[in-house]
Amino acid sequence: MADSDNDSGGAHNGGKGSEMSPREQDRFLPIANVSRIMKKALPANAKISKDAKETVQECVSEFISFITGEASDKCQREKRKTINGDDLLWAMTTLGFEDYVEPLKGYLQRFREMEGEKTVAARDKDAPPLTNATNSAYESANYAAAAAVPGGIMMHQGHVYGSAGFHQVAGGAIKGGPAYPGPGSNAGRPR
Amino acid sequence: MDQNKQGEAAEGGNIGHPAHGKNQEEQSNPMIAPTNPPKKKSLEEQLNDFWAAQREEAKMTTNFKTHSLPLSRIKKIIKTDKDVKMISAETPVVFAKACEMFIKELTIRAWANTEARKGKILSQRDLVSAISQTASFDFLDDIMPKDAGLPRTSIASTENAYLNMPPQQNVAGLPYDAPTMAFPNLNHHAPN
Repeated sequence: MADSDNDSGGAHNGGKGSEMSPREQDRFLPIANVSRIMKKALPANAKISKDAKETVQECVSEFISFITGEASDKCQREKRKTINGDDLLWAMTTLGFEDYVEPLKGYLQRFREMEGEKTVAARDKDAPPLTNATNSAYESANYAAAAAVPGGIMMHQGHVYGSAGFHQVAGGAIKGGPAYPGPGSNAGRPR
Repeated sequence: MDQNKQGEAAEGGNIGHPAHGKNQEEQSNPMIAPTNPPKKKSLEEQLNDFWAAQREEAKMTTNFKTHSLPLSRIKKIIKTDKDVKMISAETPVVFAKACEMFIKELTIRAWANTEARKGKILSQRDLVSAISQTASFDFLDDIMPKDAGLPRTSIASTENAYLNMPPQQNVAGLPYDAPTMAFPNLNHHAPN
């Protein structure tokens, strides 16, 4: 059988866009991104039905809400306002996703190292700075981590997630309000 | 069966290069009867390979500007929870990686069901089966269609399978889906 010719939505939101209102679309991740990730986990000749892709879209949103809810509850119990990465890892452990935690720890550590380097190099144009008081500990950790990398950003190029052609990839491009300061904002916004 | 021939396409290189059951089946034939046990063993090995690959992959990330999932959309989904007040910058980044792993794990488990019923197209009922078989996916039960994919009702299951598949693929899949009538028992055993 020939290579997969899956019915993947050509546009970023595929057929989903024509079937749903703009607000409805925001409840799910783009079907094209979801489909691409699914294919990575399957043999090359595998096909995925449209309804399967849509079902996974729903499952992912449910996953995000599930983890977020648990992390949010923890923050409230501890009288903290901001959910951070460690809260998510704790929530995943609590909710039966232990396998996810180890890879994510490494991932989060790398992210913080990159953030530290950006802070030192004053190159925070792409990633929002950690401006909340509760993140000051991470900034300190990042500075310490940055000190260990005097040469700047390491050039070990591993797997880059997603292709450069993404139109949907817009980290920090959309300002979502005070809880998520934009790239240009260095002022704290306590609520 | 050689239906599950794995392609070595560089573009979509499989994570951890899982065996996809074929090699495992060959090895297991002399030892175990070709029934569910080899499939389950195969699935477990696939998942072990998958998680090992994830651990290695996460360490090598150097570019956090491009993600397989858009951070802005992730943030909107997080914000649908009104109890959530503030999130740090790293929260959507962590979710982008976590959701990628979630999608892949769910897909691997669902594909095992597709293979078990000798199907060629991963469909909704394969997802429903995978979710019902996995404890950590219990939170998804509420959003899953109750009628579709129930293995006990073979006729309903078959009908739903046809209804769920796109017309073209439905035609192409006919010869392979026909045997599903003989496999409801198999699917029924799986959840036990």
